[in-house]
Amino acid sequence: MMRGEPLVLGIESSCDETGVGIVRGTQLLTNTVSSSMDEHVRFGGVIPEIASRAHLEAFVPTLRTALDDAGVTLEDIDAIAVTAGPGLSGALMVGVSAAKALAVATGKPLYAINHLVAHVGVGMLGGTFADGLPANLGALLVSGGHTEILRIGNIASDVELLGSTIDDAAGEAYDKTARILGLGYPGGPVIDRLAREGNPKAIRFPRGLSQPKYMGTAEEPGPHRYDWSFSGLKTAVARSVEQYEAAGMEVPVADIAASFQEAVVDIITSKAVLACREHGITELLLGGGVAANRRLRELTGERCTAAGITLTVPAPSLCTDNGAMVAALGAQIIMEGRAPSGVSFGTNPSLPVTEIVLASGEDGRA
Amino acid sequence: MTVLPEWTVVHEVGSAAELQALAAALAPHLRAADLLVLSGELGAGKTTFTQGLGRGLGVTDRIISPTFVLVRQHAAGGSGPGLVHVDAYRLDGAAAVDDLDLEAGMAANVTVVEWGAGRVEHLSDSWLRVDILRPVGVLQTAATGGPVTAFDDDGEDEVRTVTLAGFGPRWHARQPPLLLD
Repeated sequence: MMRGEPLVLGIESSCDETGVGIVRGTQLLTNTVSSSMDEHVRFGGVIPEIASRAHLEAFVPTLRTALDDAGVTLEDIDAIAVTAGPGLSGALMVGVSAAKALAVATGKPLYAINHLVAHVGVGMLGGTFADGLPANLGALLVSGGHTEILRIGNIASDVELLGSTIDDAAGEAYDKTARILGLGYPGGPVIDRLAREGNPKAIRFPRGLSQPKYMGTAEEPGPHRYDWSFSGLKTAVARSVEQYEAAGMEVPVADIAASFQEAVVDIITSKAVLACREHGITELLLGGGVAANRRLRELTGERCTAAGITLTVPAPSLCTDNGAMVAALGAQIIMEGRAPSGVSFGTNPSLPVTEIVLASGEDGRA
Repeated sequence: MTVLPEWTVVHEVGSAAELQALAAALAPHLRAADLLVLSGELGAGKTTFTQGLGRGLGVTDRIISPTFVLVRQHAAGGSGPGLVHVDAYRLDGAAAVDDLDLEAGMAANVTVVEWGAGRVEHLSDSWLRVDILRPVGVLQTAATGGPVTAFDDDGEDEVRTVTLAGFGPRWHARQPPLLLD
């Protein structure tokens, strides 16, 4: 049916960004995003009902803008790709319903794809990797909902989860720490900014799952060799603040922010680089909203260089949630000859990373 | 109307691992349709407690924070109930809780709601309240005499008081005997 590189419309609605992107193969035509972030600030986090409503209101205008911007019509599109999970249930439902409606109305094939793998898919866009995805590729995804290290054999068919958080996502740890410190929401940017004024060595906060009983050795890995835990860190921040308050002392907010950030970034990067070294990964893509964090980029860069790993960080607009990454992954799946998902698949808030594209009638649950 | 508990029991735990062991010991006393309402400040150990509970129930999934997605469903490991893990912090009152449609899953699962106090008790005529408190206002001092500036990686220094209280007919005269080693 399609000749040459497919023209794919990608739809993303797993959290608070309504994204519509259009690609032709690996060429980015538009990346249009509407965010409801401002509406969630006063609640200190994304409110699902508000996000779902915002997706509903934003979808058609975002789609129109994307088509105009790319200079194509719905008739020109070869296929539609949509995020089926993981993410917020109600939010996913809006994007998936819209995608199914478009597929039925236009008769175009529909692909239900994995949000996390799509974050890696941006590596094919905007000249991120000039010659397409390299071999021996890994991806470190760090955001408000995710903290994962992946090995990518083939982006359309072979993605392996090497490690992930066992409690809070890194971005969530930032948000909760900011709440403890009274800094508002979202926590990432404000802590990153305050951290510059503080001493990262003032307080030694926990590096979760770093002890030998969790790490084991390369030959005999422990139960959490490449996994992260941030719950103990959060507790330590709360205890730290309380003891200054109890003593009637001023809380050293900048030092706590800097020491907290150092603990997060230190353990994320050391475990990610370890996973790369032990799995022959020589190219690492850093993605997710927390990829914007100054200290994370800096320390990941240093440690990758020391380990002989090439680090690639896409443009910020491609790191955060967007529709272009969904379209880019969709295009790869089509070029691999995978079958479309039809319109009878279901959303899955906990879709595992090994489910790259859903088959007809499935929702990726075991 | 103030509802009084059928019973209340207080446990002291000395580490994150002990908190999980307490929760795991509670698990055999739970059955499908039980509702647990967890309270405690940020970092008190609500998710840590739920991880121990999941282990005790034989849930094989990784139990990660439900904050981002609000509700996580974990299938039962064996013939026992599964676990539904909820973070109600961002839910503004009972109506927002009802939007999650937790009742649909309650019959086959143990439902655990973090930040659930005052938000989810209407879902059942009985519930188990779990309050996790860290000692606050006690000045901890390091060897130097100043505030503690080095924290253990494994939560070996996390002391907590866990108060269990049973509400409603399900818990009438049924205080779980928790034996910890």
